[in-house]
Order: sequence, then structure tokens, then C-alpha cells
Amino acid sequence: MTTAEETPGTAAAAAEETPRNETDAVAPAAPPNLAWIGVGIVLVVVLGYATKYLDKNVPAWLADTGLARISKSVEYPIYAIAIGLLGNLVLTVTGLRDRLSGGFRTEFFIKTGLVLLGASINLSLLVTAAGPAIIQALLLISGVFLFTWWFAGKLGLEEKLRALLASAVSICGVSAAIAAAGAVRARREQLAYAASLVIVFALPSIFLLPYLADVLGLSDAVAGAWIGGNIDTTAAVTAAGALAGESALKVATIVKVTQNALIGFVAIALTAYFAFKVERSESAQRPGAIELWRRFPKFVLGFVAASIIGTWYAKTAAAADNTAAQAVATNLRTWFLIFAFVSIGLEFRVRSLREAGWRPVAVFAAATVVNIVLALALASLLFANFTV
Amino acid sequence: MSDDPAPPPTRSGPRISEDWAATVVGLLLLVLILSGVITKGVLQ
Repeated sequence: MTTAEETPGTAAAAAEETPRNETDAVAPAAPPNLAWIGVGIVLVVVLGYATKYLDKNVPAWLADTGLARISKSVEYPIYAIAIGLLGNLVLTVTGLRDRLSGGFRTEFFIKTGLVLLGASINLSLLVTAAGPAIIQALLLISGVFLFTWWFAGKLGLEEKLRALLASAVSICGVSAAIAAAGAVRARREQLAYAASLVIVFALPSIFLLPYLADVLGLSDAVAGAWIGGNIDTTAAVTAAGALAGESALKVATIVKVTQNALIGFVAIALTAYFAFKVERSESAQRPGAIELWRRFPKFVLGFVAASIIGTWYAKTAAAADNTAAQAVATNLRTWFLIFAFVSIGLEFRVRSLREAGWRPVAVFAAATVVNIVLALALASLLFANFTV
Repeated sequence: MSDDPAPPPTRSGPRISEDWAATVVGLLLLVLILSGVITKGVLQ
């Protein structure tokens, strides 16, 4: 990928091809083939079962060895991502990955899991956390977006790539990059590149942030708000939150969902900026409420609806029934998250990063550092006295 | 993204939004759980 200027007409063609979901954003454009998609989904399910099997049995296998303590602290997101990466390696070597990639539906799996997670979050927690979550999201998105935009400009990156990187690192990773790509009519390879950067930086964060939160002695609420505010992609936030604990996971999810909900506003601002400032099209129309709705991540509605339904059920049903229902919902939620984490590993790609040179990587790395520090400061300030 | 020449665009017609699909499937599963249709998890 290069940051060279586009030839006339390329932008329009690229806009038509701009992927609308995370799987398409990181995978090359290929004709959809239902049979291969089906095989890809079956593979994700099989690797998901392998994850569950290891999660259940490894601690017992290593109980009498020096690795007993480590094996107990390794949880299902780590097995799932590791198995996904291993599968990725095998599929790459055998040349099957691109054919099967249509079945690696990270976005669908993670969002279904998050809707089910909503059922275990009491509405009062959602309402209480919404205030600080919105303040944190607004300050964090503004601060990190503007820094990334400025720094990418200093290093001479092309405007559209600046918009993609700034959106991805400040809001919610691949989903935000997709929304920004549609808004600024970025080229497909620019989106693929931004998506790859997101995943490359998100993978170590999944393990690093829960570890640092533990070392720093952060409360569950602050740790969750830090993880949710800092890690870019929703799936990685969920993986890190799950490693940090159930309470941290809930706060991380609320914070991330709040950021997700702001995608539409950023996409509209970018659409207007590129239409009236960068490309200066006289025929451009101001984006309106319909555009805002089109960009709004609809699963947020499902998440809130599940919280309302779950809270109502907890109040009206017998305690034993509620406990049993929550256990089943948690079980199914875990399965969807396992499938999502396996898909993260299977989708991981580094090829386009090699083609882009060091400047976008430097921008993303610097923005990530700013994001980590700013998110920690805001989470410590806004969630200091918050209890889950 | 790849070194291979890009294939021509082939996507056409309506596509299911994964956002909506996840919302519907998640809520449907929740309703089935709360109404007692699904009473057991998988490999608990």
C-alpha cells in the first residue's frame, strides 16, 4: 500500500467497494462462496471446542507440575487467540485462509456475545456508569483523534489515511475505520492497512493491560474503564476485560459501547470535512440524521434492550430461576466470545504492514501511547469511587 | 492488502447487517432462555 495520490475516479470506485463489516475489512475482496463460508464457520466452531477443552483440562493436566499456577491463570481468551493464530498459520501455509475467511465472523460473534452480556448488567449499573463513560469517551476521542490527526500530518501522511488512523485509534478500531473509510471514501487498501494496524496493536494490549491493571492495583471499575477506553477494537476489549474479571468486563463493555455509539457523529463530521474542505465539492450535501442512524452501531440497542429485559426478569422471577437463566446466558455468551477470539487469531494479517513503511506505524504507536496515558488518567479520575 | 491483483468487485444485492443479525440472534437467545425453552448451556 502506498500513500500516493489517487487517480481520478478511483475514489468513487473505492467508496463503492468500502467494506461494511470487520471481516471484509481485513480480508481481501473475493467472490462470496457459501460452501467455503460454511467450512470457515465450522472451523471456527471446531477450534472453539478445542479452546473449551483446553480451558477445562489443562489445569488438571499440569496440576502436579511447576506450571500449575500459570495454567490456572491462563483463561479462555488466551487459548482461543493462540488456537486461532495457530490455525491461521496452518491455513496460510496450505493456502486456504483467503477462501475460508468469509466464515471468520468476528463482528457477528462479538456483538451477539455482547448483547447476551447486556442481560447480566443491571440497568441501574448501566445508567450509573453511562455518565462517566460518556464524559470519558468524549474527552478521550477528542484528545486522541486530534493528536493522531496532528502527528500524522507532521509525518506527511495522506489526508484519508490520517482520518482512518485517527478514527481507528481514538474510537473503536476496525468498526470506526470502516465508518471513516465510508465517510472520506478511502481506498480499500488504506482500510485494510488501518484494520491490520488495529489488530497488531490490540493483540498485545489484551494481555498487557489486565497485567498492568493488576500491577498498578487498579480497582475493577478503573481497570475496566481503562481497558474499555484504551483498547481499540471491541473484541479485544472484551478479551482483556474477561482476563481482568467479570466486574471489570462489565465496566469495560459499557465504556466501549459508549464509544461505539459515537462513531456516527465522527463519521458525519469527517464526511462534512472532506466534502467541504478537502475535496471542496460544490454539489456536496450536508449529512443529516439519516446518515447518523446509518452509522449508528445497532447492536448497542440490543445491548441496552438485553439489560432492560435481564433487569426486569431479575425483579419478577424467582431467585433460583433467575440464577439458572443467568448461568445459561453466561454459558452461551462465553461460546460466542470464544468464537470471536478464535476469529481474531484466524484473521490476523501482517502482509500489508510491510508495504506501508514506518510512518503510519509510528503514528499509530505514538497515538496508542497517548491513548494509554490519557485513558488511565480519565479512568482514575472518573471511576475512582465507582463500585460495580 | 495482498500482492495478488485485486479481483473485480463482485458484491451486489442486499447484504445482511451483522449489527442487526447479532442484535436479533442475541435477543432471541435471551428470550428463549428466559422463557425456559433453552434450559442448559453447552459443555458446562
